[in-house]
Amino acid sequence: MKRLLIIIGKIIVKLLKLMHRNAGNLPGIVLWHLSRHKAVSMFKVECPIIAITGTNGKTSVTNCIAQLFERSGKKIIINKEGNNLDTGICSMLLKYCDMSGKVKADYLILETDESHVPVVYSQLKLDTLVVLNFFRDQLDRNGEMETLIQKINGFCKTFEGNLILNGDDPNTARLGRANPKNKNVRYFHAEPYAFATEKIFEASEGRFCPFCGEPLEYEYYQYSHIGKFICKKCGFGNYEPYITAKDIDLEKTVFTADGHTYSPKLNSIYNVYNMTAVAAAAKLYNIDQKITDGVINSYTVKNGRMENFMLGKSKATLNLAKNPVGANMTLRVMNEMNGEKELLFVLNDNVADGLDVSWIYDINFSIFERVSRVVTSGTRAYDIAVRIKTAGYDSAKIVVRPDLDKAVEELASTESRKFIIANYTAVQPTRSALKRYITKHGGNK
Amino acid sequence: MKTIRILHMYADMLDLYGDSGNMEVMAFRCKKRGIECQIDKYSIDSEMPDFSSYDLIYIGGGADLEQQHISADLLKCKEGIVRAYKNGTFLFLICGGYQLMGKYYRDADGNDIKGLGLFDYFTVAPNSRRKRCIGNIVIETKITGKPVKVVGFENHGGQTQGVNTPFGKVLYGNGNCSKSEAEGYCEKNVIATYLHGPCLSKNPEISDYMIEYCVNRGESEHIIIDALDDTLEKECRQVMLDRLLKK
Repeated sequence: MKRLLIIIGKIIVKLLKLMHRNAGNLPGIVLWHLSRHKAVSMFKVECPIIAITGTNGKTSVTNCIAQLFERSGKKIIINKEGNNLDTGICSMLLKYCDMSGKVKADYLILETDESHVPVVYSQLKLDTLVVLNFFRDQLDRNGEMETLIQKINGFCKTFEGNLILNGDDPNTARLGRANPKNKNVRYFHAEPYAFATEKIFEASEGRFCPFCGEPLEYEYYQYSHIGKFICKKCGFGNYEPYITAKDIDLEKTVFTADGHTYSPKLNSIYNVYNMTAVAAAAKLYNIDQKITDGVINSYTVKNGRMENFMLGKSKATLNLAKNPVGANMTLRVMNEMNGEKELLFVLNDNVADGLDVSWIYDINFSIFERVSRVVTSGTRAYDIAVRIKTAGYDSAKIVVRPDLDKAVEELASTESRKFIIANYTAVQPTRSALKRYITKHGGNK
Repeated sequence: MKTIRILHMYADMLDLYGDSGNMEVMAFRCKKRGIECQIDKYSIDSEMPDFSSYDLIYIGGGADLEQQHISADLLKCKEGIVRAYKNGTFLFLICGGYQLMGKYYRDADGNDIKGLGLFDYFTVAPNSRRKRCIGNIVIETKITGKPVKVVGFENHGGQTQGVNTPFGKVLYGNGNCSKSEAEGYCEKNVIATYLHGPCLSKNPEISDYMIEYCVNRGESEHIIIDALDDTLEKECRQVMLDRLLKK
């Protein structure tokens, strides 16, 4: 039966290829139905699987961990961004397996959607699970945060492989207690950076100890609910870190971990956490230090993640924000920069974005400094305009242009530093609009 | 003019779906008019406040776990809240806050979380967690004296029954129960609703109704508050009305 399913799957992949279509999710969806919802159970994977999950940073960390092994001369299989559900992983494995469903590689590095971790890894044996963070994201798809954490926690109860957890996020650190018999739980941690605060700065979850219900006490917050926390009653948060990021200096873009200094390309606290997770994986798998240096110090991103454009003579930085944490991050970077700047915010409410846009009220706009103008666009251009107005920003300086090309033209009509925030389905259309503008009026993409 | 005093209860626990934004809207619209607005916070283990001294009490919505956390504490406040309500304090309640003022909330496993019993309605969660009322919603309310279309976003499992005086009539979406005609609960000094969005963000008439109520609470002569420029808010609402109501 399994063999038959593999053959059917492979035929679909081939047919799609003949039609010059990318396989995408379709073969996986077909097999999901045919296999009674066990789309990845027919594969035989004998090599170690490393899965990366969490709300923010999955793609970056997956790519970096994959590079650790690739540069070590290993044969790896990695799933592309977006194919991180069971059906997507199935479609991808179909391309690499032989007729018996055997997948040949040294390591499988799989970005895995938070809600799909239990589904996929009840069918495939997992060697290591890396959990980065849990933030509010597309709530109306996943149900409430707690349900999501419970699902993964349920999986961790019987999991005996390696767990690499963000020890500064109570939502992820709690997974370390799910299976008391598991001796392979490791935490990564970061010491406070220059903008860490004593009080919480942005809306967040996880303020109470999941074990005894007491409010968690924080020594410091790095951003959102990420920071050094402890439950005074039951001691939750009191663990020995496996690896700690220290001497974080975002101006010089350096930090140290395990006595080793890294100078990454991206300078944000978010990247420090992601790279510390990468360093933890490198340590666990005994990767050569030179290779780890090379990966962490060279990693940079495109596709609308802090991507730079020249609009005429103005530099514009585009960043994806799927949730308040992502948006607050761009606002922080913007604020920490001197001089006048302008912001374009593109907000869509398509299904993949989550239909509910109320998360924009968890973005802290009151911190705006030297922002001379705001342009808004997207299917919810007015909602984001009203939100920024309500935060106290002068509504006379807000321009609403639901049409993206018009919004980019409006933004480029003055010469100044530009920042652009776009949510999930808005990023690619925004990039295209920026490129159209540059083709027509000049600049650099 | 007197200072408006608002008590925002459990702000640190019940602020799912941007509900704290409602307080930002209230503060913003008061400030624009030069009305002093003081927003105090109350949470678990805070000192018991004098509820009646507040013109408005606000409670937002939260995840089930948070709602369980606060329900015992809320019951401790019962006497104070009942007295405040009778003394004309305005109650503005969203989602979980709305449910907890009723008789009880029966969760998906059949367990009852006791409500304050201030009002006669009660809420029953469907036994499947998947059956939720989720989506954009448009209702028409007459609380301000004139029909006003209110746009928001609902996301609730609980089905609220036994409401005689709803906040509005459903024009699009679900309302108190799946595909129901009525949404929320209201009295002269109560607005209880499932609408997130946050609810006040693009429905300025509702914020102003409450601000005017608060300004006039305990005053002998009726004060009319200034109109504000709501072009942006109204355009924002119109975009959604055009999308949802015109087929």
